Amino acid sequence: MAASIAYVGGHLQYGVNFCMGQSYKQAIWVPSVTFNGCLQRELSWSCGVSKFLQIRKCNLFQSRTNENWKSFGTVITSAYLRDGSTKYFDFAVIGSGVAGLRYALEVAKHGSVAIITKAEPHESNTNYAQGGVSAVLCPSDSVESHMQDTIVAGAYLCDEETVKVVCTEGPDRIRELIAMGASFDHGDDGNLHLAREGGHSHHRIVHAADMTGREIERALLEAVVNDPNISVFKHHFAIDLLTSQDGSDTVCHGIDALNTETQEVVRFISKVTLLASGGAGHIYPSTTNPLVATGDGMAMAHRAQAVISNMEFVQFHPTALADEGLPIEPKKTRENSFLITEAVRGDGGILYNLSMERFMPLYDERAELAPRDVVARSIDDQLKKHNEKYVLLDISHKPREKILSHFPNIANECLQHGLDITQQPIPVVPAAHYMCGGVRAGLQGETNVHGLYVAGEVACTGLHGANRLASNSLLEALVFARRAVQPSINHMKSSSLDLSASSLWTRPLVPKSLGSDVMHKILRITKEVRKELQSIMWKYVGIVRSTSRLQEAEQKIGKLEAKWETYLFEHGWQQTMVALEACEMRNLFCCAKLVVSSALARHESRGLHYMTDFPHLEESKRLPTVIFPSSHTTGTWSSRQLHQQPIVKSMV
Amino acid sequence: MAKTSLSRLFASLSEHSIAKPSFTGSRSDSVTRSAYNSVTRFVCSSAQETQLIREERSNEGDREAAKENLESVNKEEDEGEDGDHVNKETGEVGGPKGPEPTRYGDWERNGRCSDF
Repeated sequence: MAASIAYVGGHLQYGVNFCMGQSYKQAIWVPSVTFNGCLQRELSWSCGVSKFLQIRKCNLFQSRTNENWKSFGTVITSAYLRDGSTKYFDFAVIGSGVAGLRYALEVAKHGSVAIITKAEPHESNTNYAQGGVSAVLCPSDSVESHMQDTIVAGAYLCDEETVKVVCTEGPDRIRELIAMGASFDHGDDGNLHLAREGGHSHHRIVHAADMTGREIERALLEAVVNDPNISVFKHHFAIDLLTSQDGSDTVCHGIDALNTETQEVVRFISKVTLLASGGAGHIYPSTTNPLVATGDGMAMAHRAQAVISNMEFVQFHPTALADEGLPIEPKKTRENSFLITEAVRGDGGILYNLSMERFMPLYDERAELAPRDVVARSIDDQLKKHNEKYVLLDISHKPREKILSHFPNIANECLQHGLDITQQPIPVVPAAHYMCGGVRAGLQGETNVHGLYVAGEVACTGLHGANRLASNSLLEALVFARRAVQPSINHMKSSSLDLSASSLWTRPLVPKSLGSDVMHKILRITKEVRKELQSIMWKYVGIVRSTSRLQEAEQKIGKLEAKWETYLFEHGWQQTMVALEACEMRNLFCCAKLVVSSALARHESRGLHYMTDFPHLEESKRLPTVIFPSSHTTGTWSSRQLHQQPIVKSMV
Repeated sequence: MAKTSLSRLFASLSEHSIAKPSFTGSRSDSVTRSAYNSVTRFVCSSAQETQLIREERSNEGDREAAKENLESVNKEEDEGEDGDHVNKETGEVGGPKGPEPTRYGDWERNGRCSDF
C-alpha cells in the first residue's frame, strides 16, 4: 500500500504543516513524528496565482467582495450558468444528511448552493438515527461533564479542544433546530425531555419519540426545499473531486457527478465544497447503514490528497439479527441490520454458540451483562474459533407474555421469517454501525485541501477518539456544519470562478460503447467482488484483530482489487469510465484499505481497536493514526482520481 | 409484615416494564393487567410509603394511557397534535410509549436498538 502513515504527536492541532512535496512522492513509514504549527488558511491565503486558474486569494476582504455582496441577486443567477453539462455554484455540498443540509441552509444566505446526493435526499445515515442528540440542556448538567463522558468513552484519544467546542456549542445548535421547526419531545412543564443513554452521567439526550434523526432530517429538508438559493441534485453520484496544485497546496474546485437516472455526467464547479457524505458501513457484510453508505467521501478525499485519520476505529454492535440463521431467509438482502437491544440480555437473555455452549462466562465473570465491547469481542472470537456465521441469543426461557410485550418488534420480525423467539434462540451477529475516523478536519471543518470542508461521519474531527459516545454523532454533524460556514463564506468571497476551468479535467465517460452484454457481466462480477471484499473485511479486519490477520487482509484485498480491475479493463473498460456500481466498488476498496492500513499502524488496543498481539493500552501510543496521500504515479484505478490517470498528462 | 410482602410483590411486578398492548395480542396480558390493578389499588389504600404510591399511580396511569390508546390524560395542551401520549412519570409529551428506551444504556424501542 502506497500510503504513508504517521502518529501525530503532542497536541492534536487542527492544522498540520507538512511538506506536500515530500510526502507526495514517497511512501514513508514515520513512526512518531510531531507535526506542529498551522497550515495558513482562511485569512492569509497566498496571493500566488496558479498557472491554470485565475483564483485570486487576497489577504483582505476588499471592495470587490462588497460589490459581490451588493449585486447579490445577480451573483446568484449568473453563478448558475449552464455550460452543457457543467454547472457553476458558489457552494457545493456532497451529501444530504444533517451535516450537509444544516450547512447548506446557512451558506445559502451568501451564495448559490448545490446539494449533490446519490439517492433520495432523505436516504442517509441521519435518517436512521433513531436515538437522539446529546447536549447540555439541563441546569444541573455541565459542559465539563459532557466533555468528561466523551473523553472517557473515546478512551482518551479525543482532541480536547474539539470536545470542548462541540459540548459547548451543542445546546445552541439544538435551539436553532427547534427554531427551524424540528419538534422534540418535551415535558408538560414545557422543557425539553432529556433521556439518559449509556455512558452519559446526566440526562442530556434530546429526542423526538424514537425517530430523532428522521425528525431533524424532515425539518431541515423542508427548509432546504423552500430555499430559493439551494438546488438539490438527487440521484447524482459524486465521482471525484476536481483539484489542482497551487505550489505545494492542493485546491478543490468542484466535483464530477453522475446522474444515475439519466446516465449523464455533470460537472460542478464551485468555489467551496463541503463533503458530508457519511459513513462506510458497507465495507462489512453486516451493517446498520443504508445502502448509500459506501465511503464515497472518504475515498474521494483520499484520492484528492486529503489527510485521513483514525480509520481503524469502526464501531460494531454485538447483536444484530443474523438473516442467515432465520428459518425463512429474507427474500432480498436486508439493507440495514436489525439491532437487538441490550435489554434482551439485561432481561436474562443467554448467548450460545452453535454447539449450544454458553460462552460468555469464559470471557467475563459478568457473562452476558459484561460491557458491550467485551460481548462484541467474545462473539467475534467464538465466530472465528468455530468458523461460524452467527451465535444464538436465547430468551425463550422467560415468560412468553413478557417476551412479547417487551420485544414485539423482534418477535414480529422473527416470526415473519419462521422463528418464534419465545421457543427458539435468536441468531445474532455483530454489525458495523459507525466510523469514528475519516477525513481529518480542523476546528472549522477545514481540511488540508483548500476550499474543501468536511462535516459529519465522513470527518474525523477528534471528537470521538477511539470510540463514539452515544448520541454524539448528530451533535458533531450539527456543530461542525455550523462552524464550517464562516470560513467557507470567507473563502468563497476571496475566490472567483474561472468559467473556462471546467475543461481542465478530463470528463468521465459513461460506458455506452461497451454494450449491454459486457455491462451485465461487469455488474455481476462487481457484485460478487463486493461480497468477497466484505467477507475479507469481516474475517480479517473485524472486532478482534491481529497483525497476521491484518496482513493477510492486505494481501487478499490487493489481489481482489487487481483481479477486479483487470477484469474490467480486459472487457474494454476505460480509465475514465464511470458507472454507479463500479464507482462504489472503487470507493469500498479505498476505504477498506484505509481501515486495514490504520489498523496495522496501531500497536496497542484502544477503544474499538483490539489487537490480540497488542492487547493493552499503551500511553505512548495515545495518538491519532494519520494517513497521508500517496503518489499518483503508482497505485490502482481505485486510488487515483478519474481525471488523473497515468495516461493523461499530469496537472502538476 | 403484610406491607413488606406486598411491597416486595409490588417491587417484583414493577421490575418488569409496564405492559402495553402487545402487537401479537396476547390475551394473558389483560389478565395480568387487571390483577396488577387490583393489587396496586390495595397497596394504595394500605401502604404508607408515598414513594410507592406515586410510582404505582404513574404506572397505573401509564397502563391506562396505553390502554385508552393514545388518549392524552393530561389536560394541558401540547403542540396541537391530537392524542400525544403523555408519560405520567416523567411528564414527557409525545414520547415513546412503554418503558424508557434508555433503561439498559442503549436506545431501544420494542426490542430494536438504534443507538448505543
